[in-house]
Order: sequence, then structure tokens, then C-alpha cells
Amino acid sequence: MTTSAITTDQLTKSYGPKLALDALTLDVPVGEVFGLLGHNGAGKTTAVNVLTTLLEPTRGSAEVAGVSVTGDPRSVRRAIGYLPENVQFYDNLTVMENLRFFAQLSGLRRPDGRIRDVLRILDFEGHDRQRLGTFSKGMRQRVGIAQAILHSPSVLFLDEPTSGLDPEGVRTLRETIVRLNSEFGMTIFMNTHLRSEVTKTCTSIGILKAGRLVHHDTLERALSAFPGEDSLEAIYFQVESEPAS
Amino acid sequence: MNAFMVSARHEMLNARRTRTANLLLVVFIGMVIASSVIGWVTNQTVTSVYQKVVADGLSSAPNPFSGVSPLYYSRNAVIYVLLIGSLMAIVLGVQATLRDRKAATADLVLSRPVGSVARLLGQLAGLGVVLAVVIGVSMSISWVIISIINGAPLGWGDTGRLVAFSALSWILLATFALLGMLTGLRSRQETTALLVPFVIWSVVAFVLPQIGTAARPVSLLNPVPAVNPTGGYFDLVSALTGPLSVTEQFKRASGIILQDSTVTGDATPSVLILLSFLVVMSIVVVSTPRARMRSGLDG
Amino acid sequence: MGNPSTHAWVIARKELLDLRRDRLFAVLVAFLMIATLISVGVAAASFRTQIDAYNLYVQQLIAAGSTTKPAAPTFFPLQLLRGGVEYLEILGALFAIVLGYGTIAKEKYRGTLQLILSRPIGRFAMPLGKIGGLAIVWAAVVLLLTAATTIAIVAIGNAPLQPIDGARILIAAIVAWLYLVFWSALAIGTTALSPRLSTGLIVAIVIWLAFVLIIPQIGDTMDPDNQVPGGLFATLQIQKTDELKVLANFAGFDAIRNGLEISSITKHFERLTFAFLGIKDKYNQQTLDFVWTDLWGYAITLAVAAFASVAFAVGATTRRTLQRKIS
Repeated sequence: MTTSAITTDQLTKSYGPKLALDALTLDVPVGEVFGLLGHNGAGKTTAVNVLTTLLEPTRGSAEVAGVSVTGDPRSVRRAIGYLPENVQFYDNLTVMENLRFFAQLSGLRRPDGRIRDVLRILDFEGHDRQRLGTFSKGMRQRVGIAQAILHSPSVLFLDEPTSGLDPEGVRTLRETIVRLNSEFGMTIFMNTHLRSEVTKTCTSIGILKAGRLVHHDTLERALSAFPGEDSLEAIYFQVESEPAS
Repeated sequence: MNAFMVSARHEMLNARRTRTANLLLVVFIGMVIASSVIGWVTNQTVTSVYQKVVADGLSSAPNPFSGVSPLYYSRNAVIYVLLIGSLMAIVLGVQATLRDRKAATADLVLSRPVGSVARLLGQLAGLGVVLAVVIGVSMSISWVIISIINGAPLGWGDTGRLVAFSALSWILLATFALLGMLTGLRSRQETTALLVPFVIWSVVAFVLPQIGTAARPVSLLNPVPAVNPTGGYFDLVSALTGPLSVTEQFKRASGIILQDSTVTGDATPSVLILLSFLVVMSIVVVSTPRARMRSGLDG
Repeated sequence: MGNPSTHAWVIARKELLDLRRDRLFAVLVAFLMIATLISVGVAAASFRTQIDAYNLYVQQLIAAGSTTKPAAPTFFPLQLLRGGVEYLEILGALFAIVLGYGTIAKEKYRGTLQLILSRPIGRFAMPLGKIGGLAIVWAAVVLLLTAATTIAIVAIGNAPLQPIDGARILIAAIVAWLYLVFWSALAIGTTALSPRLSTGLIVAIVIWLAFVLIIPQIGDTMDPDNQVPGGLFATLQIQKTDELKVLANFAGFDAIRNGLEISSITKHFERLTFAFLGIKDKYNQQTLDFVWTDLWGYAITLAVAAFASVAFAVGATTRRTLQRKIS
């Protein structure tokens, strides 16, 4: 039985001469909440796109839930949930109609009961008959989480999940992420450029700079490796300021 | 339920909810019905004209309408399928594929165990059902109106012809829907996605027939196909442009099916040309790579 | 730069610059140009085949010993423009809608609308700048098309043009410009009013379908003579004078039919250009005075329609309508 939820080996993605992801080698054990930090344009979304099989890598290999992303992408898609940055929906359909569509595409036969359960978990009952067009960013994000976990994936990818949310929305989302990990055992891979997010939700971190992974450790060890530093903020800036090797 | 069925049902739901698509559907159904009503009103007037002519002793010829097929009243429907129907199908097709790219829902769809072929075929099937329903509703109402004009329900033969015309209309509209899907997948801007198929449509409906037959654009709005080439240069060019003039082929086949006495010959070659366009377009659309389906739009 | 007309001019100039760099616009104008030139070429080729057929017929008559010579088909160079006018009538209107839509949609889509509206510009600067810009663009396009087709007539049709022909072409060009401005302004108005961008375009296209394609076609269909293959009166073997007498009894029906036709702005454009270019036989080789006396009403209605469309666009394009939720 595999103990790694995500492993990558020399995973590379280039667009013409530009290297978006440069030989990423990574291991995220089952049950982790992994936070991938980096500036805008560091390659975080490319990494998620390759791991969710939306993009094919140029070189290297990766396994998600024990399955190769290039060898059997369809099985990978069965095992994962994905919340893109600034998620959008079919605005003229209701919450229920949107979620039913995505649940059925994930192979759920009679999804309505499950959708209600998920909405209850997310504390979003009573909105299922409303159309998405009228929703705030925070409400959309909750529907976004709902569509990602409907089929009980073992690995959940979140791309900048708190982007554009108000403080209340950020707090609710954080609690949801922690619950999905602790109560439902989902491994979570989260992209963010906010250090505060990582300290409050993640168990391990990686820092990406110009497509390269320049730091990877558990949160605890990362914090103890820099005893003189007060916060992750400082670690981040210290790593960022070192020249990429 | 598999991706094909889910996509088909989702497409039908979306078409039902989209106001602009509904507007076009209503215009289309309304015009097909109107074409029969106009035929009816005009028929009443012409019958009065005939009675007046006979009463004044100007003619003893038999009523010219007695020899005309009742289906003659729906000949304008051929033009409405061509004009409104095609544009409606293009809009539906563009919206089907562009929707997922515009809102980036393509990533939500493609990060699930869904094959691109099943997804696109499913969307096409959904659109196909929508088009079939629209054509079915408008033709059923036409059937009723023609029966009223005729004073008796249409017989099996004429009903069969109306059904055959509906099927032919579906083939044409599905082809244009596929054209819309294709530009919806390939264009970098929404305006281009809508405009390119409109331009292609106008080339097919106006420019190609004109090059081949010297028919002027406005005369091509008549339900009767453009007249045969006038010799010399036109013989050669029409041999090339004729098969590509899909809309003229549609008019020709429809004219024969609806027993328009101005169109003679065999409808089979025209039907085969229309079918082959449908098949080719389906293959082109279905072979779209996944990366293209999720590519975003430019601002 | 404080006064409103300066702001409108700044927006108009930006529009001109934007369109000059716009590939889609270049493609549309090129397409219109090619279609128009093709139609001149095809009409010339069609006339040549008629002449060939005529010459063949005359030779056959001579060979058969006949001394009578039928009249040769007469060539009127301006009639080669008919296809081009019809393209402007159908596709020109469609492209005018697309450009009118694009000029508003681009600002909304790119998010540059907020940047413009956050400046101290007046109520009318935006709509007048947009419409003014497009009016200049259409003037340039019409001039380009006119020049190209005139050269084509002389070159392809091998027909020398008289100075009066130049005046006729110029009048047709002005009429075409009014017609295109009408459609662009209409699309600006519908797009500004629609919170959803594509709705504005589709509504304008539905109006185009109705007024350019459907209404003229219905008018044609309702003609009693078109109801029977070969023509009703021909089938009944009735002379023209008797036909008119009979039809006089159905004046109401014919008034509705004609009313439908002239409710379409496209018919006004068509009747004006066909008359001034001598495409319609009744006006062929007639003086401009004669044509004007008959058609001044259409000229007024077309100008009023264009003005009304511009007024609609100006009324519809406000800060409030432009800033409705975009999706």
C-alpha cells in the first residue's frame, strides 16, 4: 500500500523556451496538508495543472494516489478533487444543477443525496435552488469546494483558495480545509502566495521559485530550522532572497 | 450515467436557460408558423382574385391552385431554416463550447474522468435534441395550418414529405451547430467565435452561389434554388462551387421533397452532399485536443 | 481638453486607432471588398455570356437567310454594381452591427470602461465619440469600396464612365454611408443596454434578420402573382390591363404588402441606390431630377432613421447602462 499521496520525479513543464516548472521532485505523504508557496508566476498553477492532468508534463514523472499522471490520467481524475483559482460556474443554472452535472461527470449515479450531505458539511444548506449568477465570491468558493469533494476524492487540489475572499470567508474556508483533512482524511495540496495561510492550515510546505522547488519540509521542521526567525514570513523571504541554484 | 449522457442533458438544460438562445428559438418557430399563415392569407386573397376574374368573365381557366401541392404553402419554411435556423444553430453551437472556456469550467470538467470525444459528442447530441425539438414543434404547427388551408388533414404521403423535410433541416442545422462548436473551441475571442461562422455562412449562402450561377445575393433569398449556369465560364465554376454551396443543395433537395414544381430532378445527390458535410464537421469537432477545450480567451 | 466635444473627439480618435490595428476589422473590410469585386466580375462575365449567346443567335439567323436583326443586349456599366449594393445591404449591415457591438464590448470585456468612466468626461462624450469614430470609419470604407468598384467597372467592364455617372455613384455612396451608420449605432445601443455582452449582439442580429432578410422576403412572398408557379395571371392568361383592374379590388391587401416592405429600412436603401444607379429600369438613363422627384421621400426616411438610430445609441449609452453587471 502506498504511503505517498503525491510523488513527482524531475517533473518539468516548458512552454517553448520558457521553463514553467523545472525538475520538481516532491513527496507528499497521505494525510498531509501541503502548502506550495511562491510568487505570482513561480509555477504553482502549472504544478497543479500537471498533477490534475490538465497539462501534460514535458519531462519527468508524477504519481497521484499511486497512479501515474501520464500513464493513466483517467484513474488520477477519479481520485482527485480540484478547485481552480477564481472558480466560475454556469451562472444560469442553480447550485443543485451545477453540482449534479459535475457529480455525474465524476461517475456518481444518483448524486442528489450526496450533494445535500456535502452542502450540509459546508454549512451551505438552503441555497441549492438558487442560481449562481447572484452569488458573492465567498458563496461561489463554497460551491467550488462542494464540486471538488462531491465524489469523496482522496487528494484535493486547491489553487489559491482564499484569493479575493473577505476575512470571514477566509476563516470559514480555513476551518473547512482542516476539517476535510482531519475528519475525512483527504490529502490536500494547496497553492498560495500568502504565508499566513500556510501556518494556519498546512502540515508541510514547499517553496517554488522560478519553477524550481527551493525548500521542502514539514512546517514544524521549517520553523525549527530557522530558530532566529519569528515567523514563516521571514523564512520565506530568506529563501526567496537566495539565488536559485 | 456516462459522460456522453451527462453532457447531452447538461447541454439541453443550458439551452433551455439561455435567454438569447430562447429568443432565437421563438423567432424561428414563430417565422415557420408565420410562413404558413402568410401562405394561408395570401391563398385566401388569390382565391378571391381568381373568383373575381372568373366572375368578370376574364378567364375560364381552372383554378390554378387545384394543381398545386398543399406543401407549397410551407416553401418559405425552407428559407427560414436557412436564414434563422442556421444562425440559431451557430449561436447554440458557439455557446456550447465557448461557455466552458469563458468561465474556465472546462478545468472542472476535464479534471474528472471524462474523455474529450464523449464530452464533445455528448454536447452535440444535446444540441441535436434541442434542434430536433424546435424543428419538430414548428413543423407540427405547420402541419396543422396546412391541413386547415387544405380543408382536410394532410395525407400520409404529404406528412411523410414534411417529416423528410424536417430531417433534412436537422442535418443542415446540426452542421451549422458543429461549425459554431468548432469556432467556439478555436477562437480566442467571443466576438470572433460568433462572427467567423456568420461570415462562413454568408460565403456559403451568397458568395459561392453567386460565383457559380451569377445569382445576385437578394435573389438567393428565394426558396427556389438559383438557376442553372448560363454557359461558358459558369459551367466550369459551378461544377466546383455547386457541391460546396450547402445551402443551395438544401434548397434543391427541399424543393424536390416538398414537390415545388419549379425544382426537378433527384434529391439524393444533394442529400448525400449535406450528409457528408455533417459527417466531416463531426469528425473535425470531435478530434479537438483536450488542451484546446480548456484554453482561455483573450481580453 | 476640458470641453465635452474634445472628450468625444479623443474617444473617436482612439476608436480609429483601435480599428486600424484590429485584424478582425481588416478581415471584414477585405471580405466586403472581395465580395463586391467578385459581384462586378460575375456580372460582367454574365453580360459577356449574353453577348456571346446573342452573337451566336445572329449568326444562326444569317445562316438561315434571315435579314432581320434582333436588338443587341444593351450594356449599362452602373448596373454591374447591383451585386455590390446587395452585399452592402445584407453583409454590410451585418458587419456594421459587429463593429458597433465591438466598440462597446471591447471596453467592457477588457475592463478599460472603468478607466474611461473614472475620468471627468461628460454625459455624451462616450456615445458621441464611439458613433463619431465609427461614422468616420464607415466613410473611409465606403470611399474605398466606391473607388475600387469604379475602377473595376472601367477595367473589368471595359466601360467608359460619364461625369454624371460619377455623381450617381457618389449619391449611392452617401446613401450607403447613412445605412451603415444606422446599423452600427443600433448595435451600440443594444449592446450598451444589455448587461450580458453577447445578448446585445444577438438582439441586434435578430433585428437585422427581421428587417434585412425576413420582411422584404415576406413582402415578395405575399405578391399574389408569386403564389402560383409561373405566375398567377400568366396561368390565367390575363392581360396586364385587366390584371391591374382586378388588383384594384384588392388594394387593401396590396397596401399591407407594400407597407411591410417599406417598414424595412433596407428597402429604402435598396430603392434609393437602385434608382440613382439606374439599376431599376424605370430610372435607367433618367436625369437626377427625375429620380429625386420620385424618391425624395425615401431619402428623408433613411436620413431620419439614421438620425433616430444615433439618438437611440446616445440615449442608451449612459454610465448606468454601461456599468451594469458584466458576465
